[in-house]
Formats: sequence, structure tokens, C-alpha cells
Amino acid sequence: MPLKFHLKDCTGCQLCQLACSAAHEGEFNPVKARLRITHDYRENNIYIHATRCTFCKICENVCPVGAISNNGKWMIVDHNKCIGCGTCEQNCPTGVIYLNDNKKSIICDLCEGEPKCVEWCPKDVISYVEPKKKGAKK
Amino acid sequence: MKGSFWGKKLVVDLSKGTCTTEDLPEYLAENYLGQKGLGARIIMEDVPTDTDPLSPENELVFSTGVMTGTIVSCSAKLAISAKSPLTGTITDGSVGGHAGAELKYAGYDAVVIKGRAPELSYLYISPDKCEIKASPELKGLGTFETDDRIRKAEEDEEIKVLAIGPAGENQVLYACVSSERYRQLGRGGIGTVFGNKNLKAVAVRGWLGVQVPDVQKCMETAAHYHKADGIIDKEYEIYDDGTPMLVNLSQESGLLPTRNFQEGTYEHYEKINSESLKEVRQNKKACFSCGIACGNYVVDGDARVEGPEYETIALLGSSIDNPDRAKLIELNAVCDDLGLDTISAGGVIAYMMEMTEKGKHDFGIRFGETDKALELVRKITYREGIGDEAAGGSKRLAEKYGGAEFAIQVKGQELPGYDPRGSWAMGIAFATAPRGGCHMSAYPIELEAWGTLDPFTFEGKAKLVADMQNAQFAKFSMGVCDFWPVESETLAKLFEVTYGGDWTAAKVDKAGERIFNIQRMYNIMVGFEGREDTLPQRFFKEILKDGPPKDHPMTEDAFNATMQEYYTYRGWDKEGRPTIERLEELEVEPELIDRYRAVTGL
Repeated sequence: MPLKFHLKDCTGCQLCQLACSAAHEGEFNPVKARLRITHDYRENNIYIHATRCTFCKICENVCPVGAISNNGKWMIVDHNKCIGCGTCEQNCPTGVIYLNDNKKSIICDLCEGEPKCVEWCPKDVISYVEPKKKGAKK
Repeated sequence: MKGSFWGKKLVVDLSKGTCTTEDLPEYLAENYLGQKGLGARIIMEDVPTDTDPLSPENELVFSTGVMTGTIVSCSAKLAISAKSPLTGTITDGSVGGHAGAELKYAGYDAVVIKGRAPELSYLYISPDKCEIKASPELKGLGTFETDDRIRKAEEDEEIKVLAIGPAGENQVLYACVSSERYRQLGRGGIGTVFGNKNLKAVAVRGWLGVQVPDVQKCMETAAHYHKADGIIDKEYEIYDDGTPMLVNLSQESGLLPTRNFQEGTYEHYEKINSESLKEVRQNKKACFSCGIACGNYVVDGDARVEGPEYETIALLGSSIDNPDRAKLIELNAVCDDLGLDTISAGGVIAYMMEMTEKGKHDFGIRFGETDKALELVRKITYREGIGDEAAGGSKRLAEKYGGAEFAIQVKGQELPGYDPRGSWAMGIAFATAPRGGCHMSAYPIELEAWGTLDPFTFEGKAKLVADMQNAQFAKFSMGVCDFWPVESETLAKLFEVTYGGDWTAAKVDKAGERIFNIQRMYNIMVGFEGREDTLPQRFFKEILKDGPPKDHPMTEDAFNATMQEYYTYRGWDKEGRPTIERLEELEVEPELIDRYRAVTGL
């Protein structure tokens, strides 16, 4: 999982979502972010949840027109090929993919290696870990 | 629409069952900034000053700021303004959490709610809906369950709810509004006005993006000031401790309200200070877009709350002689759920305790009897027995039972957790705050008792407080939380990158002064007089026996002389009325000045 969350320190401020939507969509709008922070109160504590791309590549496998690929580090969507069918959105196990106003699939691209969410997190909850190359020893 | 300002308000008439969208002209954003200022300006225009606060003619004005919903930290607050049923003044409160940003994402800068629903209802607002939903099934429910039930009924966990509890429904005059359980808009009876309108809750859901003139520049500017001001540092004490850090400071300065402000130091303060609360802290919690995260979620045995904040610790802790951490947490949570302002509730209970102890009237409760305090909170909420009268606040109780010197209030609103004898400028701030006893109009305590200025002199303090109030009013109108100690110059830059235009610190402060004067004009038109800008007699007649304030009597003569100095500095007359000349200098709209002139004869 390229984006790692140390959730114990997450305060639920959602600055990561604001940074994400601003960087990619040019507006401040948490519902257009490529990750999502929610919280709820149960029994003895506040529970904070982080929903983000796990790089599982299911979207790539289910896309009927081959619009989704990856470079070994993040997902890439070819909006020229994307037909807005929503298959990727429906099959995303975390529910973090959405179709934008132009009916094009939006998937986290880790800001091409310099994730804004990591940069903006005030409590250093999020870190970006590059996937290890195949065959690399631990 | 300009920058982050939609230029739109939603007007909801609960009597007629209608929702309409109206334009908000840009000059309102430029002259009144947003939140507090925008709310005051709308109340000024819409609610005649002789309106009964508990009538359908009163309004609730929800307002956001130009930074709300953007990446500027600490900016997601929501203000609600009304004419206060507790004080009769104009009032406003602000609440953190997520509701303010959600309202902005719903496409509105403000929502005006007027009239009265025929039966208990909640209002649902989203970009494509405004629905008044009859909800008799929510009657009597606490704020926590109301929040849960509405999200469930709407089948949307992300809805943000602002709800009242039974205290608001039963018209307790200091009923609060709760959001996400533990975020309260506490003061002045805004929850009471909800109840009077048969409005159980407002539920908001938004998905519209907030635009700014240059998003890249906005992010760079915000990041720069967040870093420069140190607010996102993990070492920042507001993150590390939250407001409970003030307990030790107040104790050391001898101004921690103890046994109804009879003393300024509490022998058991270590049982309820930040260090003690950290022992039972489970987690930290931020409001939306806040890089600080002041919230502390604590669990002690069966008691749990996100809090308690300093004011609650002072008023429901030391001021009622309650050193029991778990019971303090429980009292806090019960008040949040029933929908009671913890400050006023604590002030009322402490008054009743002192009256009993001094043999003035037996209210059946004495200092240290916390279990009885818990019971009393319920009686107040349900208006049972003496609770029915206590629901009117300490000023009204004292009018009936005497002991005005034990009713620690200004203009009918109970004082927060600072004894002004330990920080004299704070006394000026309490006396002149437009909404009555309140610590939010200015916080000179940080410069006096906790800073380098002499806390025991009025010399230079009239100007100090007035200047601080102007800056605070601008800051709160832009919607920035108190926990960012932000300079007006920074606010000017942040206004530029969110709304647009050219801003300076002087322009920001002038807007703050204009907003302060608008609220003052309203109160003068209500009939308030300068002689009501004062403090409870206790502070002039009794000297604190411990701590730094002990050798420093604060006399009424010196205080009154300072008030005259304050009026002069503000450009007000000897009776504390803003002069026409000053209002014109502040560029208050001529039609508002005409109305003011017609009522006051100035």
C-alpha cells in the first residue's frame, strides 16, 4: 500500500482531502478528493477511518476499454479512452474511485510521486512508501 | 459570486413552510466579512430591536466566512446570530466541527430561519434541496441521539447535524446547540430560539467546490502562515493540551473561579487540570480543516466526553467545588446531550449553592454537592421544581430571591472562567462585550495575567481592550478560530487569497470596529444603557485573599472612570452610545444610521 496511515495520530482534520481536491480539481471540495477521512463515535473512543487507493489494481482488470494502467507505483487513467461506464467505481473495494463532472474516472495517482496529502498532513500521519521492486530483498 | 463568496443566502420561513434563495451583495462580504459580522448585519436589518426573542419574529442567522471550506486552517467555524432570550442583546455564537464547511459546500454563505414551524421539525439543506421535515418522533431526545437518528433517517452518514436537546425544547434560556455530539454553540440561548421555532435540528450536506481566485497561491499563502505562526507544530500547546492548559495558568494567576468567584485559587485544581485529564485521554480530535486539533476525547470509568474545555472545568469544576474528574466529565457530557450551556449552567448552580450556604435562600444545594448538581441540571432541563426558575438564569433568580452579588453575570449572561480581579482589562472586556458576560470579545488576560502587562491597573487598558475587540471581531467575522493567534495583517493576506481584492491590516481592523459598533447600535436601540456596562458588585467590594490579586482592590470608581475613557476612545458619548460622526467615519450604511438616529434622538 503506497500511502501508509498512522491512524492513531490522525485528528480527522481532512486537510489532506482539501489539498488533494485543490491540487487536482482546482477547487476545495472534499468529495472530489482521491482519499477520504471519516470518523465516528462508538463505545469508548473516536474512530477515524482513512479510505484511499491500495494499489490493488482491480480497476485496471475490470476496465472494459483498457483505460486504466499502472507504472508499478501508481494508477494511470487515460481519459481519452475512458467511456465513463463506472465499472471501476463499482468494483473498487475501498470505494475511493469516482467519476468527475465530465464522466471520467478519477483515481489517485500519488501526485506522480509527490503526494499533496503527505505534504499537507499537519501530524505526519500519512507517508508515501515506494513499492519495492520485484525480487528485491527485505 | 466572488472568490470563495457564493453571494447567496437561503431564507427559510418555518411558518409558511417555504425556502427561497436570495442574493447577498458583495459589499456585505467586504464591509462585514462573514460569520459574526454578516450575521449581525442581517439581524440588524431583519429583526426590529423591540422584537420578543421568543417569538416567530426573531431570526436565526447561520453564517460562514470567506475562508470556510478552504484550506486555511482553523476557518471552518459556523456562526449563528439572533436576538438573545437570555440577555435581550444581539448575540451570536460559533461552533466548530464540520457543519460550517458543509454549509459552504451546500452553496450558501448564510441561512436565515424565520417564523415557527407548526410542529417539531428539522431542516435539511443540500445544494439541491431545502426541506422542512416534521419530526415529532425526535421530541425530547438528547442531541447525541438526534444526530444519530437524522443521519440514519437520511441514509447518509456524512450529514452534519446541529441539534438541540430537551433544554432547548423546554425553553431553558441558556440552551445550546450541539453538533457531532461534542461541539457546542453554547452561549446566549441560541438553542432556546431553535426550540421556540419548533426547530429540533438543522442537517446539512454539501458537495459544491469552493473556488478561490488562484488556488495555487491560496495554498502557498495558507501553508506559509500556518508554518510561520507555528499553529501546526506538534509542540503547539493548544494541540498538546487543549484549553485545559489554562487551569494551571489561572490557578497561578489567582483568577480561577472558585466557589462562585469567592476565591481565585482552588486547592484541588490538580485533580481537574490538563495533566489529570491527559491521564484519561484516548484521542485527539480536530475540527474540519484545522491543523491544530485542540479536542481531547477522554474516558474515565463510565464517563466520556470530547472535552472538558477550560470554561467547563472552571464553571462546573472549581466554581461549584467539584474536584471529581469523572463527575466533571459526566456533567459536561450530560449538558452537551441535554443541550445546556455549561458556562451559564455552572454560574446558575454556583449562585444557588452560595445562596444556600450564606443562608439567603435554601435551594437545597451546597458547594461540593456534585451529585445534586447533576440532578439540578436535569431539573433545569425539564423545568421541574426549582429548575423551572433556574432555567431563567442567575440574574432572574436574583431578582426574585435576592443575592444579586452572588449572581455572577453581565447583562444577564453568566461570566466565563476568569475572575476579573486577577486581570483588570478582562473586566473591561466582560462589561463591554455586546452579548454580555463573555470572554470572546477580547482576551487581554494573555497580555496581563499571563503576559508582561501589569494586571492590576486600568492605565492604558481602555484602548488596549477596544483595539483587541476590533481585531477579534474581524477575526471571528472572517471565521478564524481563536486558537490561531493571528495578526490582522495575516488576515488581510488570507482574505485576498480566498475572496480577492486588496486588503490591509487597517482595513481589517476597521471592519472589525464597524461590526462591533453595529452590535452596540442594536443594543442601544434595544434600550441598553452605559450603566449596564459593569461588573457584579462582588468584584468591587471583596478582595481576593490568595494569589497575585490579593493586595489589589479593584474599585468601582476606577472602573467607571475607565469606562468613560473607553467610550471616549471608541467615539461614543458619555452614556456609551456610538455617535453619528463615529458611525459615519466607520462607513456604516446611512439607512442603518437613520434608524439608529430615529430611536436614540442623537
